[in-house]
Amino acid sequence: MARVIAILKALGLAYRRDQKSLVAIVGNNFFLVTALLLQDAGGFIYLMIGVVLLFPLSTDPLRKIPASRLALWPLDGRERRLLRIASPWVNPVSWLIAGLAVWAIRGKVTFGLWAAVAGLFVAAFLLSDLPFAPRRAIWLHIPQFPGRWNQLIRKNLREILCTLDFYCALLLSVSVAICRVAKVPLPPEAFLAITVLVVLALSSYAACLFGLDGPGGLARYRLLPLWGWEILAAKDVAFLVVAIPLTLPLAPLAAIAAALVALALGHGPTVNRPRPQSRWRFSTGGGVVTGLVQAAFMAMAATSVFFSSSLYLLPCIAAWAGSTWYFGRRLETRADV
Amino acid sequence: MISCRNLTRRFGDFTAVDRLSLEVARGAICAFLGPNGAGKSTTVKMLTGLLPPSSGSVTVDGLDVTRNLLELKRRIGVLPEDLGLFDDLTVDEHLLLTGSVYGLDKRETRTRTGQLLHALSLEHGRHTFAGACSHGMRKKTAFAMALLPNPRVLFLDEPFEAIDPVTSKIMRDLLAAIAQRGVTVFLTSHILSVVEQIASQVVMIRKGKIVWDSPPADLPQSLEQHYFDLVEAPVVEELNWLGSSQS
Repeated sequence: MARVIAILKALGLAYRRDQKSLVAIVGNNFFLVTALLLQDAGGFIYLMIGVVLLFPLSTDPLRKIPASRLALWPLDGRERRLLRIASPWVNPVSWLIAGLAVWAIRGKVTFGLWAAVAGLFVAAFLLSDLPFAPRRAIWLHIPQFPGRWNQLIRKNLREILCTLDFYCALLLSVSVAICRVAKVPLPPEAFLAITVLVVLALSSYAACLFGLDGPGGLARYRLLPLWGWEILAAKDVAFLVVAIPLTLPLAPLAAIAAALVALALGHGPTVNRPRPQSRWRFSTGGGVVTGLVQAAFMAMAATSVFFSSSLYLLPCIAAWAGSTWYFGRRLETRADV
Repeated sequence: MISCRNLTRRFGDFTAVDRLSLEVARGAICAFLGPNGAGKSTTVKMLTGLLPPSSGSVTVDGLDVTRNLLELKRRIGVLPEDLGLFDDLTVDEHLLLTGSVYGLDKRETRTRTGQLLHALSLEHGRHTFAGACSHGMRKKTAFAMALLPNPRVLFLDEPFEAIDPVTSKIMRDLLAAIAQRGVTVFLTSHILSVVEQIASQVVMIRKGKIVWDSPPADLPQSLEQHYFDLVEAPVVEELNWLGSSQS
């Protein structure tokens, strides 16, 4: 029993440390702006963030112990069963669902809501426990790109697809696409607003572009005979390759303007204050001020292109090109990026 | 081919590399030896332009490292201490990336990639993401990346550690062959038996300072004994508790 308790304590510690990476949501542009601007009206957005967050929160805590280590520990069958039964309760979401069940019995929430949350939790828990050997094989099918940045762009795309930002933007985009197919009448302004929200959901990543490269990746960048602007441009191409298709059912030109502005303003924190990121989490972005400035300028750029003229794309392109060149030079002189 | 004068690197009050002067000739295999924390990797980083020196000068293949960084990168191959791999690229994709970035055409890149993967027994794992590779596979991938552009100077930070004996032999033979063709190899290693077989120059470093620099033939005793005498003698600690089966 003492052995099981010791392991559960260590698991609890590891889990609490991991949960700290979920604090990333506080610095995320999407969460920041929806919390500030939408407040009570942001129910749908909050629900979406909740759904997207539920998946990383619902992983099996026992997965934190390497399988080989767990197998080597001198635990008997009874102790292993006990560990299996007790370990899910290290995860606070288990307690939340138990609490919801009590509320459902008392009639404070509907059984439907409890079943939906519990179902999602169980699904995510079981999925995280499946021994998916070819889990990453799907990433092999990322398309090829012309030119010498091909593999860099493909790598960067894989990184974006491992952030929750992308899935949040995808949910928004798919929701609108469904509305369009179902011929739900939406005012033109709604397309602009959702376009900005989709790019906003991705924009935190634009302010921490090297976050998922790891120390090895950063060392490799410094060894490759590439200019700094080329390394940033390969990151930006991947960002646009994701942002443009997601906004095709919305306002694509406005989205391009917003994306270019997000990247132009994101290069500064990307190069000057690189922040390591975790996979399957929201990106932390470049900080609250950067996030708010990014959001304001993105909204301005998208609105100008949407309501006035596509020519407003030109200053956005110029700002992006200038930022890429300038911060590319800075990148070449930094020893830690 | 590699020349440094009074090369120094300080981190705050700590001097990691202290007025290091060194000459490595074209086609030499220079083994740079020393204990952990002696300043080997810091020196390699300064020689490859990854870390600017606090003072002193370095030229590699006639280029001042601090002034001609991009041109230097085109001429050298590096196996860095942390291997410098992207978790989101496969073994194969790392080599294709190297080929395209160093200006090789696709056909040539594919040919060289295939040959290197075959030579280093990496063919079976060519589509494995670096993040899922064993340490040995990762090291072989980084080694193949260093060789693929056919560099003039090769910097290898601990290339033989975590490598199986057969691949280690293949790597040694490859290094000997390219050195004969005029490529300069600068490597660090803790495996003295391997160093003894391939090095044409042995440099020992202790606390950031060079304490020995000569061809292996000029060593007054075996490399291992000389290393123990000059650099670091083994510490004998009695761990009595290991003798008890009840502990």
